[in-house]
Amino acid sequence: MMRAPVGLLSAAILLLASSADIAAQDLMDHSAHSGHDSMRLDRDGSVMNENLDSLPRGCEALGRHLHFTIHAGVKYARDIPGSIFGMSQYEVRVEPCSRVTVTFVNEDEVRHQWMVHGLPKYLYPAGMFHIEASGGKSVTGTFIVPAEDRNYLIHCDLSQHMEKGMRGQLVVGRGSGDLWSVGGASAYFFRDDYMPRFALLFAVLLAVPGFLATWYLAKRESATGSASRREIFD
Amino acid sequence: MKIRKSLLLLIAAIAIGALSYPPQWYPMPLRLQLTRWFGAADYRPLPLSMDPQVLDAETFCPEDASGWREAQVIDGVSVTRSAPCVADNPYAVAAFVKGTNNVSKDTLLRSGLTSDAVEKGRDLDGDGDPDEIHIRLEVAELNGGSSVTQRPVTSYDIAPGIQPGMWVFAPKLVGMAVENFETGIARDALRLPSPAIRVEQGDSITITLENSHYMPHTLHLHGADHGFVDSSGEGNDGVPITSEIPVMPGHARSYELQPRHAGTMFYHCHVQPHVHVLMGLQGLFVVEENRPNNWLQTMNVGAGLVRAPSAAVRESYDQEYDLHYLDLDKDLGERIRKYRDPRLITQSMHREYDITDADVDFFTLNGRSFPYTFRESLLVAAEGERLKLRVVNGGAKGISLHTHGHKFSVTDRDGVRLSPATVVPQDVVWIPTAQRVDLDLFLTNDGLHSYGRGIWLYHDHQNKGVTNDGIGPGGNISAIVYADYIDDSGWPKTQGVPWNQYFTKEYYRKEIPIWESYAPGLFSNTVSDPWWYPRLAGMALALAMLAALSIAALRRRSS
Repeated sequence: MMRAPVGLLSAAILLLASSADIAAQDLMDHSAHSGHDSMRLDRDGSVMNENLDSLPRGCEALGRHLHFTIHAGVKYARDIPGSIFGMSQYEVRVEPCSRVTVTFVNEDEVRHQWMVHGLPKYLYPAGMFHIEASGGKSVTGTFIVPAEDRNYLIHCDLSQHMEKGMRGQLVVGRGSGDLWSVGGASAYFFRDDYMPRFALLFAVLLAVPGFLATWYLAKRESATGSASRREIFD
Repeated sequence: MKIRKSLLLLIAAIAIGALSYPPQWYPMPLRLQLTRWFGAADYRPLPLSMDPQVLDAETFCPEDASGWREAQVIDGVSVTRSAPCVADNPYAVAAFVKGTNNVSKDTLLRSGLTSDAVEKGRDLDGDGDPDEIHIRLEVAELNGGSSVTQRPVTSYDIAPGIQPGMWVFAPKLVGMAVENFETGIARDALRLPSPAIRVEQGDSITITLENSHYMPHTLHLHGADHGFVDSSGEGNDGVPITSEIPVMPGHARSYELQPRHAGTMFYHCHVQPHVHVLMGLQGLFVVEENRPNNWLQTMNVGAGLVRAPSAAVRESYDQEYDLHYLDLDKDLGERIRKYRDPRLITQSMHREYDITDADVDFFTLNGRSFPYTFRESLLVAAEGERLKLRVVNGGAKGISLHTHGHKFSVTDRDGVRLSPATVVPQDVVWIPTAQRVDLDLFLTNDGLHSYGRGIWLYHDHQNKGVTNDGIGPGGNISAIVYADYIDDSGWPKTQGVPWNQYFTKEYYRKEIPIWESYAPGLFSNTVSDPWWYPRLAGMALALAMLAALSIAALRRRSS
């Protein structure tokens, strides 16, 4: 299907999916679908590169239609030490070729995004599918995942939001191995040191008995073997 | 037998040491005595010059592919031409003038702003312009850290290869913080300085701070007429110790004002201000005089030329510029990259960093240092034009602003008109921290106000201010350029030295001899003196032999 009908359909979906949150008046006044590739924008937020029915290469038929509701906000970061912004779910597991509808509920008073990277560029310009919700708003968008088993990055691209917690992964099929630094799911690739306060003292206290013990053992051996050693040196 | 061998080795070590010891390190009396006996040593040429490094200079003047520099009318808003290479997005200018809630969908999309970024409402006094203004500000971090990359995140170069960590207020934008995911370069509206904000005297203004950053912040309207509390009795001054609890990450707060007095003011975060203000959370706050049909450009991204100036300014001036000076401390900015955990960043910035022991390294004008200042902050005008410059010094040290070829007049200080008797032409004005001065720059060639057409620098005359971390030319150097001294692309027709090396990272990393580009070979880097290798080897061998002999001697004694 062409881009324009996709845009109309997505506007309809937007109304159906979150009619409770969106004043129809606002949508009429502000929704925009211009020359920019498949972007719909209103006061509540935006959806970029929505795809309801274009099949990725390698998909013979559309898979299951899955619906996820993902919440974002500082309150979801409380359980993950050292993070400030969080999501209710960091990992989204889907079967290849599924149609995935995400309702992104922003519980903060600032913008947040739910953005997938690395998708095929022939379907998703710049390889992205992107939902943005203004503070206190909820926005719904739909896309179709490719056929290959692979992990895709999910993040919020406001400055430092990914770095301070909003980093997740979309796992298609069996995936292709965990991404690093995914909230609560995988290790931090670069990690601060968190060195104990008396690290040096601790190390020295352990090193001293280690040194003394080795010295003692070596001396015992040299006492038994001293005669032969003298011969070698002289 | 053993002793004799050791003795021979000892003599050998001393001999090797003495022979390899460099004669220029001999004590002076010994050198003089040797000279008396043997005269000067033979000529040995000094090391050769190194071949100049092949440098890959950046493009001085990036092409204006989107046609943003041109004068244009967008949604009925006249946006003036911006002569330098890099211009503000004219669609954002138009959206700031009409209000993001009033522009066409196409203009809004091209502006990159949200529909509520700057909302303009009713005309309360019936004079033909909106008086209800609602501005939304976000907070962005530039050149920050990450747990997955060592590149600065949301990167922003103030000069080639110079990326200090910074925090800025930003207009409310749609979409990603970066141009694209691959380069990770901050989009054009996310930059230093925080946007200049322009409001009309008497307007009813709400500014909502949507704290999208991971630290607490507030908004303090320095010098602008605002109540200590807002209409609901909540703190409105932005000062945590006296007014209100700061806006925590993910939260928002609205500030209200209805300024009765017009003038050039200032705004900044007041949380741990000795750190947050220095990090870049500060901007110009201009209250324009009330006039009929006065549609203002509510934000001026990155300061600089006001492309839709106010009615009052247009009455007396041909052009208006916002000039924001800010110095940066490298040691403070790098802390947001050194740690990833916000708890450790906070500890490092607010407890370990000691501003009383600190000094600044970078000197920006409108968010850039030389040579990038020449892409953006040139004052381009024709002979006879009159320019209004609104200047703030947001830095930690004062600046001594000097213009070449011109004497300007200080008409206002801290947003208050000076008595005409005190307004005299001058070519240096001292601007202490947080002070604003309005300058009247009159380009009439009378030997006093102007000495005629050309490319005339303007810069901080304190010597630090014209360097990038000690390398000159750098810092806040920019220029007044007469219209016939600038080419179509926006680059000034300079007649001096080639600039290629200034557009390289290597030059500001202190690797390039400063005059190499026009005096190649004369003051180059030198190759090292190969004469050192045998001498270093000899001295090392002698020391090693002496050490081995001493240990052997000690062991013999103990056994």
